[in-house]
Amino acid sequence: MAHDAIVAEELTYWYGELVAVDHISFHVAEGEILGFLGPNGAGKTTTVKMLTGLLKPKAGKAMLLGMDVASNVEKVQGDIGVCFEDTNLYEQISAVGNLKLFARLFGIRPFDANALLKRVGLAGREKDRVETYSKGLKQRLMVARSMVNRPRVLFLDEPTTGLDPTSAEAIRNIILEECERGATVFLTTHDMVEADKLSDRVAFMNEGKIVALDTPHNLKQQYGKRALKAKIATRNGELEDREITLDTPETPQAIRELFAQEKVVTVHSEEASLEDIFIRLTGRGLYA
Amino acid sequence: MNLRAIGALISKDFSLFFRNRFFALMTALGIIFYLAIYFLMPSSVDETLVIGLYAPVMPPAFEQFEEEGLEFQIAESEAALKEAVIEGEYLAGIALPADIMDRFASGQKPKINVYFAADTPEELKDGVEVLIKELAYQETGLGFEASEPEILGPDMMGMQIPPRDRMRPLFAIFIMLFEIFGLAVLISEEVERRTAQALLVTPMTVNDLFAAKGAVGMTLAFGQAVLFMGIVGGMSQQPLIILVTLLLGGVLVTGVGFLLGALGKDMMSAMGWFVIALIILAIPSFGVVFPGTVSGWAKVIPSYYLVDTVHRVSNFGAGWGDIGYNLLILLGFALALVWVGTMALRRKLQ
Repeated sequence: MAHDAIVAEELTYWYGELVAVDHISFHVAEGEILGFLGPNGAGKTTTVKMLTGLLKPKAGKAMLLGMDVASNVEKVQGDIGVCFEDTNLYEQISAVGNLKLFARLFGIRPFDANALLKRVGLAGREKDRVETYSKGLKQRLMVARSMVNRPRVLFLDEPTTGLDPTSAEAIRNIILEECERGATVFLTTHDMVEADKLSDRVAFMNEGKIVALDTPHNLKQQYGKRALKAKIATRNGELEDREITLDTPETPQAIRELFAQEKVVTVHSEEASLEDIFIRLTGRGLYA
Repeated sequence: MNLRAIGALISKDFSLFFRNRFFALMTALGIIFYLAIYFLMPSSVDETLVIGLYAPVMPPAFEQFEEEGLEFQIAESEAALKEAVIEGEYLAGIALPADIMDRFASGQKPKINVYFAADTPEELKDGVEVLIKELAYQETGLGFEASEPEILGPDMMGMQIPPRDRMRPLFAIFIMLFEIFGLAVLISEEVERRTAQALLVTPMTVNDLFAAKGAVGMTLAFGQAVLFMGIVGGMSQQPLIILVTLLLGGVLVTGVGFLLGALGKDMMSAMGWFVIALIILAIPSFGVVFPGTVSGWAKVIPSYYLVDTVHRVSNFGAGWGDIGYNLLILLGFALALVWVGTMALRRKLQ
């Protein structure tokens, strides 16, 4: 049975009068990918700051790899990797220079920066100054930097935002590889599709509280509405949409009648997206 | 303290500092520029005061005045004397009447004309007036029976400071102050570009970060000031005191650098704050270079104790006992500024 890599117990933080994180509790098992979703200002970043030792909780406790983060900051930070949403690289030095600096901070010797850069698709650009990189290349380097110490827990904040599909897919593959290696991944994202694809479980955060936490499948089962959507041709040749809600006692009869009485052109099933569920749970969208 | 992490960050900061062409150039040119000015300035002081004199009859007292460092140059006529003063050949001109000795002998007051150029300092005018009165006393036998003068404190007679040595503390502090700007930019960029955040999720602590930045600031400021003072002979007297003073100065400018780093948002705003700090901190230096231009209030400026100590030690060989109080105050200011700067930065990092 896998141990918990991350445990949050009644974790709380406030800035003056504003309660940013309000008594949240959750755990993430070793090797698990947890998608942490929520709109801007929901408290995601503050939660990550408490988990990574950048902020000391005002109340509650954060445990990483069995250690209390607040009292073992340096030890915890030696075992984690963090990729921030905003690019924060040393742009006047090369990719190799950036990685070597962080390897020295972690005390890793010998360190093969080129191998890591090759892994994130930056082979051939190792010695270029980072200021000459595109957004996608910088993001790849950010991910590489977070992996310098082969972290046991990886915090990734919007790792694919604003990237072209190729770069985004490359980063998703790296996340999955890290997970296969045994790393735990705490993935903060707005991208519901990405969260759905990558996460073992997702947590919805809103106004400082976790409003739902489960596997994407279970959330869809619990909160989503499944439906059958069809396009039918009318007598005057026009197309009309029909929707039949699934999982009700009337569903079989409704489907039989559809095919018996109408000329069905296309038909497909549709299940709720994580975004639909989030809106249903919070009454607001992720970009609100 | 994580020495490994501190070392890595110091190495990175020096690399970034010297990759920035502006800082690299200004650092190199700065020290060359100040050295060049120093060696171009006069290395000795001309202590002779040249006064024009028109004297149809020369009173004997003038011979005594010449022995005391005054040089009189004789003009052919009173009109020629006035012309020479206007032309700037003499700081002052004295025209004696032809009957001066007769008038002295008969107890009458002779009429002596004194001419000054428009820009003659008031102190010199007062001095010449005293000279004329002294002449009268001497010639009429009413001069004081002066006893051997007693100098209270070190006798500075003949120890006038050459202009370049007087400028030496100013140059040294300017070299140090410039490094405030480099340090402030390094720090503000670290905060604003959020690279500090990336550092602080590694085993590096906030205190390690401050230690690394402090070491960079100290090395740049202290190192260059020591180099400059070494080259210009500023450490020929009491080198240990000068080193300690510059070390405390390095701590002081590092504290200011921390504070400006917390206030600045980018290179331009850091420059704005730096100019303000430079103006304030440079004020005491002018008091040393141009005595009398800065009044007592300059003592509330922390850099006063740095400049004053460097000046007194390097130019007059002052010892620990003379400047111990200065160093204590400088230490207090330096620690206070480092504390304020650290608090401001810590707040910003959160």
